[in-house]
Amino acid sequence: MVHVIVPSVLAAQAEGRQRFEVAAAAETVGDALRALPVADLLFNERGEWNRYLNVYVDGTDTRERGGPACPLTGAREIRVIAMIAGG
Amino acid sequence: MGVLGLVGTRKGLFLLRGDDARRTWQAEGPLLDGWGVYHATVDARDGTVYAAANHLVYGPTVQRSADGGKTWQRSKQLSLPEWSGLTVNAAWHIEPGLPQEPGTLYLGADPGVLFRSDDHGKTWEPNLGILEHHTRDRWYPGAGGLCIHSIQVDPGDRRRMYVGITAAGTFRTEDGGQTWMPVNQNVAVDHLPELYPEVGQCVHKLLLHPARPERLWQQGHCGVYRSDDCGDSWDRLDGNGLPSSFGFPIMIDPKDPDTAFVIPEKSPEYHYSPDGQLAVYGTRDSGQTWESMSDGLPRPAWAAVLREASAFDGDSLYFGTQSGSFFALANGTWVEAARHLPPVLSVEVTQWST
Repeated sequence: MVHVIVPSVLAAQAEGRQRFEVAAAAETVGDALRALPVADLLFNERGEWNRYLNVYVDGTDTRERGGPACPLTGAREIRVIAMIAGG
Repeated sequence: MGVLGLVGTRKGLFLLRGDDARRTWQAEGPLLDGWGVYHATVDARDGTVYAAANHLVYGPTVQRSADGGKTWQRSKQLSLPEWSGLTVNAAWHIEPGLPQEPGTLYLGADPGVLFRSDDHGKTWEPNLGILEHHTRDRWYPGAGGLCIHSIQVDPGDRRRMYVGITAAGTFRTEDGGQTWMPVNQNVAVDHLPELYPEVGQCVHKLLLHPARPERLWQQGHCGVYRSDDCGDSWDRLDGNGLPSSFGFPIMIDPKDPDTAFVIPEKSPEYHYSPDGQLAVYGTRDSGQTWESMSDGLPRPAWAAVLREASAFDGDSLYFGTQSGSFFALANGTWVEAARHLPPVLSVEVTQWST
């Protein structure tokens, strides 16, 4: 079981839920995020991560581990971070 | 009855409730907190509120509320066919269909695409006539992108519609959207090698008069124009007393086809009030003369008003500025109904029970 924590803007789009539990069957961080009720806000219409998305698995930036292909083996927490760009 | 202003801002939607005299206002919001609300409107057919809400990280969405903004549902993700090579960059404008087609709405979006919904905005399908238009390779984005921001349905013939595209111009369909014809004759493009091309016009806002639907008005990058023949030809009007040909919004009086209002800005290079004199200019003779309406407006003021940030409800005028002020005209004098909002992107008004 992996816990996913999303920022408040996404929580507001998921009836206020900020934490989700994703079944162990999710092999990658992409699998886990695609199971969320806000998946359409994380992936564009071609199934790619939105450009400014920041996702950490147990504190590690997933950009360093293949982005959506980042494996979840042994992972406990996925954290989607509010944007760190823009005004 | 009072007035309800739906004020879309860069950081969410505000509901501004004014009394019948439009002098006392209360603000509620931000709703859709954190989203850039490019346009929000109330569907007069059933009271549903729709919002074109965009986010830097989370992308373009259409949101709808059946309870006056307390709760919202997202439409299914907007998408374009993979063969088009295009993806949706932003949702711009939501236009409810005619009373005889309940559940039908239209959405204008970036990159120059039109969607239609026949299920009250739950799902949206792209219009292929626009998507595959043979002139698309001559369309180009403005500073806000390549967007369809104006959608007008002829109230007497729902097969006739118009869209305004920045920067491609005005297009008309006579067959319900299967085919679209550019209708830009005599509309200038000062910044292209050809002054009057078939397409490439940077229309900023296009409106059809509901009581005289063959009459169209537009404020463009290069002038204010009126057409009395469904866009087949246009007369330029900004030389008749306006301080500038440039501006974004245009408003019309649904009760008087000869009346229109614009908010000039200095020039295409300088997007603020000419000489620091913020004013709305109105014509009551089809654009032959224009009169300044500035009583109550701050001055000097270097205001910028975006294309969706004004409204006319038949009784009064309203607009919002990029500096976060919302103004309403109350018995001939402008009232600053709200200030220090985030930059105002859009304004619509409707009535509410006090």
